[in-house]
Amino acid sequence: MKPAAFDYVLPSTIAEAVEALGEGNRRTQVLAGGQSLLLEMHLARIRPDLVVDINRLAGLDRIDVNGNEARVGALVRHRTFESADAVPGPLGRLLALAVVNIAHPPIRSRGTMAGSFAWAHPASEWCAIGLALDATVEVTSREGKRELAVRDYFLGPYRTERRADELITAVRLPLLGDEYGVGFIEHRRTHFCFAQVAVAAAVSVRDGVVADARIGLVNSADRPLRARAAERSLIGTELPPPGSGHPRGDHPFVRAGQIAAHEDAAPVAEPYGDVAYKRQALAVLVARTLTDADADRRSRAARKGEDR
Amino acid sequence: MKHWTRREDERLLTGSGRFVADIAVPGCLDAAFVRSRVAHGLLRDVDCAAAREVPGVVGAWSAAELPDLPAVPHTLLARLSTEEAVAGREWPALVKERVRYPGEAVAVVLGEDRYRAEDGVAEVTFAIDPLPAVITPAAAAMDEPRLFDGLSNTALRGEAGQPVDDSVWREAAAVVQGRYRQQLLMPSPMECRTILAVPEGDRLTVWSGHQMPHRLKRELAALLGWSADRIRVVVPDTGGAFGSKSAAFPEFVVVAHLAVKLGRPVRWIEDRLESMLVATRGRGQDQTVRLAADAEGRLLAYELKVEADVGAYPHLGVGLPMQTVWMATGPYTTPRVHATLRSVLTNTMVTYPYRGAGRPEAAIALERAMDLMARRLDIDPVELRRRNFIPPEAFPYETPTGRRYDSGDYAGALDLALETLDYAAWRAEQARRREDPQALPLGIGVSCYVERSGGEPGGLHEFGSAEAHADGTVTVRCGAAPSGQGHETVFPALVAKVLGIAEERVRLVEGDTDEQPEGLGSFASRSAQVAGAMLQHVAAMLIEQARTRAAQLWGLLVDEVEWADGVVRAARDDSAVADLAELVKATGPLRVEDRFEAGMAFPFGAHVAVVEVDPELGTVRVLRLVAVDDCGVVLNPTVVRGQAFGSAVQGLGQALYEGMTFGEDGVPHLANGFLDYLLPTYSEIPPIEIKDTCTPSPGTPLGAKGAGESGCIGTPAAVVNAVTDALRPADPDLLQMPLTPDVVWRAARAPKFEEAPKLEEDSR
Repeated sequence: MKPAAFDYVLPSTIAEAVEALGEGNRRTQVLAGGQSLLLEMHLARIRPDLVVDINRLAGLDRIDVNGNEARVGALVRHRTFESADAVPGPLGRLLALAVVNIAHPPIRSRGTMAGSFAWAHPASEWCAIGLALDATVEVTSREGKRELAVRDYFLGPYRTERRADELITAVRLPLLGDEYGVGFIEHRRTHFCFAQVAVAAAVSVRDGVVADARIGLVNSADRPLRARAAERSLIGTELPPPGSGHPRGDHPFVRAGQIAAHEDAAPVAEPYGDVAYKRQALAVLVARTLTDADADRRSRAARKGEDR
Repeated sequence: MKHWTRREDERLLTGSGRFVADIAVPGCLDAAFVRSRVAHGLLRDVDCAAAREVPGVVGAWSAAELPDLPAVPHTLLARLSTEEAVAGREWPALVKERVRYPGEAVAVVLGEDRYRAEDGVAEVTFAIDPLPAVITPAAAAMDEPRLFDGLSNTALRGEAGQPVDDSVWREAAAVVQGRYRQQLLMPSPMECRTILAVPEGDRLTVWSGHQMPHRLKRELAALLGWSADRIRVVVPDTGGAFGSKSAAFPEFVVVAHLAVKLGRPVRWIEDRLESMLVATRGRGQDQTVRLAADAEGRLLAYELKVEADVGAYPHLGVGLPMQTVWMATGPYTTPRVHATLRSVLTNTMVTYPYRGAGRPEAAIALERAMDLMARRLDIDPVELRRRNFIPPEAFPYETPTGRRYDSGDYAGALDLALETLDYAAWRAEQARRREDPQALPLGIGVSCYVERSGGEPGGLHEFGSAEAHADGTVTVRCGAAPSGQGHETVFPALVAKVLGIAEERVRLVEGDTDEQPEGLGSFASRSAQVAGAMLQHVAAMLIEQARTRAAQLWGLLVDEVEWADGVVRAARDDSAVADLAELVKATGPLRVEDRFEAGMAFPFGAHVAVVEVDPELGTVRVLRLVAVDDCGVVLNPTVVRGQAFGSAVQGLGQALYEGMTFGEDGVPHLANGFLDYLLPTYSEIPPIEIKDTCTPSPGTPLGAKGAGESGCIGTPAAVVNAVTDALRPADPDLLQMPLTPDVVWRAARAPKFEEAPKLEEDSR
């Protein structure tokens, strides 16, 4: 488990970094948190000629809220989002619900959100959330800047629209209005391992009718996924009054779970998780996560009522 | 230092331990191995030339380039293997013609460091013409293909007890049957395998994290063709073993051979991915059981058939499943027990002892069958066990499978476990939940076990010595070799207690074959039971020696000299008094040594688990685990508690998380290390309550039995029985370990066991 020989640079400006990334025909890798890259290099599954360490680049460790978006710099570590106040409103709460599922505290103290979008693991929590919320990835290269819509960004496992000479400088996440409730549930065999499946949901309801629904699916295909068919089944649907326990029978959330599992998802079999089981777990998780999101929305609205 | 519970903890827990990889020897070379990526195939065209051109690479060899390289020594220890099983099935240290397990080494590269050695490995080329791989005993037993041309894949057959007459099964009120898979597990010590071989003059010093240094010394001497006194094996701090570090592995053979050939220090520090691919595995049995009882629930007969997956070469593991066969009787008075074994070679790394080593497989099979029987007879599983326990007055007890149990109070352990749990309250909660459609199903599982510790006849002894010095301190030596168990704390305390002196004055020396000529080591939970009893014995000898010396010094009879609290004195009138220091100064070095033999011991216990199952997702949440273990006389409660807790967690690992899976090509799914093979971590540990009862072993004056493997043996069946109890599937065989969510979900949606099907007689 030793990496093959590689060159290493530690640029101090973005210009230097993209210059290094654009050098000739060398295989390059960006090192931010390194929590995936270093393991892959140790396993010699990735053998870069050059590693460009961006940890000295100034200004990338900030979250800036501009208008309706949170711009997360490329060096913002996962653990930043453990506080629901790191980002305003329901989005901050969604990110806080999700982040505790990302490995262990030591990994969260190094790994970055932008790094997750660069690595594009099918089981990435951030990538599924980015898809569900229509995020944008900002990249820079010697040729200039590009903005990549996350909806078209993932091409397959570990494959994205980003070119190897492009550096992700930030990920922009649209904020969620106060009318949204959010939920995130992850299902995995031990706390340490990747999700067998996980679901992110944001729901808004007007006059008892679902106004908007965003559902991101983790490890439910060969790439991060958004459950568009399930979302469509919900929007405009009237919700029955909340019951106790998990939704059952023909509840719209249960139906959405079935649609997400059987129409949206294309699960890849893995040891201890064949396709049938993954679809089952997805259907259950989608229904439960939507229920959580709806409960979050209602408790938020109730608190607001009390404040008045 | 007072705040450290164990002497070794300050060193081990503050990062100042000294492990093999910490030992800096100038000019030492690192070995890295070129490994097969296929499970089975014919090797050709190994070319190491390019590797030799890599900067920092000192040499690279295929098997053909090391014609004198000896084969891996077979182990015929303790009746566990036979000459017949190993004959014609040589295990080459580097593959000569045929790869038989994935990861088998086809070449070795030595570099100035591990990085350079691995760079060299990347340059070695070879080809393998693949053969079909067989990875289950059932498939391999078909002998198509054969792993060794002209020889069956079945390497060994064994049995214990007498075949049960058909009439017994026919006439029994109830007969239940089950099929259980004991999945392949990885021992997963924190430190993987290590060896550092340093030639010095005409000797070779070998540093290794190892359980049996004297055996390694003998095996290395034999394969080098040297006299044993030219080899010194030293075991420094070792990060766990769990049974997996007692052999001379293929890599050890290569390292020792090259160190001698080159006259240079060579080491191999196994990394985690190598370990996952080519370290020994544990368990690996497919079992069929049949259990008969009369209408009152008295057991009539038990039959266990074991098909064991022993890996690609018939090493010690070929006979290891005999432990399962011998222990098939369990803690019950079943009059007829018949257990049979077929050990089959497969295209996997060899199976070998892993904490529990044959006894978990016996306990799990029997305890699952007991729950089947309880359900069939509609008797509380606790009651069924109570009706069949071997009673305390029946010891020593000869089992139908050839074991002679030394002592036990099986009902006592179960009673304490149930009381600790509040069994009745949980049964009430279970009944309540069955009426509540919103509630998650809850199950309670019981597992009563008896196991064997100390070793097999011929391996139940240990060597050691005690030596008093002129400064009043005492050095004790023994052949045990710890890998984290706390010997440095426990053994000096034991000797100090016998001598009546302060613990600080006793120093323990272990794990160095130059310190004493013979020794056995640490395995089979034997250190306290056997080495502890031996140290108690030599400490008593030291007292006798001191009295004899003092008697000579003072012109008294030995009977006229008393020993108390480290001091000899003239018994009648205190006219002469000397402490150990004074005695040594006056009479010279005081030293005793001996070989001491213990009896086999049979620790036992009762584990009870309460679980909650989410039937939609198949997740299992362990709400409570109570482990009552009886290891006879406890030398150090903290250390024993640590053993009980750690082994219970490993038992949870077998029940819920761990298990190797294989691709169609026979290669295990381990590309991502511990992301593919899941160990329970801190986050998965449920509330565990550890209690004990004390039934001394009559096998030694010390009365200690083994404490090291209790949870691995007792816990898995408690958890599996609890999940079965929660879901009540008509076919409990659906619940095969590990009980991963997919397995549990499928069992949860399968047809349920119909309540009260009643005895077969009732329908007649």
